[in-house]
Amino acid sequence: MATVQSDQLLTQFQPNEITPELARKRRSQFRIIFDRFTRNKVAVAGFVVLAVLLVAAVFAPIITGQTSTYDPPNDPNLSIALSGPIPGHPLGTDDLGRDELARMLFGGRVSLAVGILTALLTILIAVTVGSLAGYYGGWVDMVMMRVTDAFLSVPLLVVLFVLARTFSDGSVPSIVILIAAFEWPSVARVVRGEFLGLKEREFLLAARTLGANDLRLMVRHILPNAAGPIIVAATLVVGDAIITESVLSFFSFGVRPPTSSWGSMLNNSRDFISSDPLLLYLPGIAILITVLCFNLMGDGLRDALDPYMTER
Amino acid sequence: MRRYLIRRVVQAVFMLFVMSIVFFTLLHLIPGGPDAVIGANNPHITPIQRAAIRHRFGLDQPVPIQYLSWLGNALHGDFGISFSNSLPVAQELAARIPATLELFLTALGFALIMAILLGVTAAVKQYSITDYLITVLSYIGISMPVFWFALLLQELFGVQLGLLPVFGRTAADTTSFTNLEIFEDYVVHLILPAIVLSLLFIATWSRFLRSSMLEVIKQDYIRTARMKGLGARQVFFRHALRNALIPLVTVVAISFGGIAGGAIITETIFAWPGLGRLFLVAVNFPDYPTLLAYLLFGAASVIFFNLVADILYGVIDPRIRYS
Repeated sequence: MATVQSDQLLTQFQPNEITPELARKRRSQFRIIFDRFTRNKVAVAGFVVLAVLLVAAVFAPIITGQTSTYDPPNDPNLSIALSGPIPGHPLGTDDLGRDELARMLFGGRVSLAVGILTALLTILIAVTVGSLAGYYGGWVDMVMMRVTDAFLSVPLLVVLFVLARTFSDGSVPSIVILIAAFEWPSVARVVRGEFLGLKEREFLLAARTLGANDLRLMVRHILPNAAGPIIVAATLVVGDAIITESVLSFFSFGVRPPTSSWGSMLNNSRDFISSDPLLLYLPGIAILITVLCFNLMGDGLRDALDPYMTER
Repeated sequence: MRRYLIRRVVQAVFMLFVMSIVFFTLLHLIPGGPDAVIGANNPHITPIQRAAIRHRFGLDQPVPIQYLSWLGNALHGDFGISFSNSLPVAQELAARIPATLELFLTALGFALIMAILLGVTAAVKQYSITDYLITVLSYIGISMPVFWFALLLQELFGVQLGLLPVFGRTAADTTSFTNLEIFEDYVVHLILPAIVLSLLFIATWSRFLRSSMLEVIKQDYIRTARMKGLGARQVFFRHALRNALIPLVTVVAISFGGIAGGAIITETIFAWPGLGRLFLVAVNFPDYPTLLAYLLFGAASVIFFNLVADILYGVIDPRIRYS
């Protein structure tokens, strides 16, 4: 008798509660985040500008007819040096008569490659260190956090200049490794904090009771829940890395000629400020806009990925 | 509190000790280390001369022995002699500190005033045009490459308008100057580098103060103060601002720790004769004794000012308890 009643209750509630109206409103997790992100017009604008820059950087070899990965066409022509915009050279030429547009495009390739690769490598290191420290705690945490502290106590530019001078061969990968080596500690702290908080939650206990091992718990259960803050941190690392690369190249510790970089182009422009100020303005504006867009997008993502943000 | 302090100081000293080992090993074992620098610029050097120089710098001994003798000397304040000009490294560093300190203190002071003005204005007029404008400016300030900003200011104020000097700490020849003119000369040389150095601080601190102001305004004691009949202005500046400044104090203290790395860019572009320029010359040489001392000086200042920040936080905010 009692079982019949509860069965009746179940059938009463189960199928017909999801009305067509509700079904239409139901959205996937991704959709919710996407909707929230697109509501932030500034962040979307940042994303669009970045997409344009990225396309320009990817197609730079086709636009300029140069096949090298990072080197712009090396065709000095002193008769048109520092020309300012002329037919065939819409942004003018540099002090050796090389096309400024091509150098800007390839400089963007270097900047974006360094920024994005650094962010990826940073995440790889930071997630490994942060998740192990946060999940296992105890002496593992102690050792890893002391190492993190040590890295955070080194003045960034000082050690980067020294290492770039002694270790780097001026290639993009070597610069990426150098910058990532000092960007990961702050991100690792974020990851550790997330893991510390999440590992005490009930759903983790449930997963463990079902027999999941440590690795599965970390990768399948905690990491997806910590993804938001990690993605945000990574976006901000991109901007940081682009600025750092430009500083290194400005002081000629970054990429080496004939590879062009916005930073080294700015250093080069110092002697020609009065004859062709465009050489001073263009690379600087390019860095400013790229980094600004990554920062705006990062903040937009932060709001979109935060589950505690209520829908407005 | 005392036990906490002792523990932190012991930790800091231990950390510096470990770092000195890491830095020393790193600088001595890399290809192109101190050994390779000797005579690198002189093709006529004989092996005997080379050996003599190596012996003079102690490079003919095993690295661990070199480290121990370096450490012994360093604890007495002797960081060896520079490869580039054979002067004592410690003396060279000490000679550069006043110029950098002058620039740094001016920039931080200016940044603090600007950040408080902008941060408070943005918080008071939350979601107004002014607020958005300040937000936009701080975003640009954060995303702007400092060296480009420096070049733009040099171009505008130095070259185009001819208003301010763009190089050095003083005019080349000050012998005919009166005392007032010497002071004026110092000030005009300081303006552009100080503005450049303060840009990033203004941008980040004003954002920080804005959000901590908005956080404080929500508190119960602010509502209580308003309920008791105090004016909005008085509550804002006497009650809210004073509490909102507490977290900023730690941020400012931590920024101070960046003195070794923070001024490299600005000092180089404005030819300011401070620590940053000394460092850049040492990197390019490469002058290993100076680099080692500089790396440790940089790490020590970061660690020291982080500690200062933590202590200040507890002193100013009685709600914080150390365990």
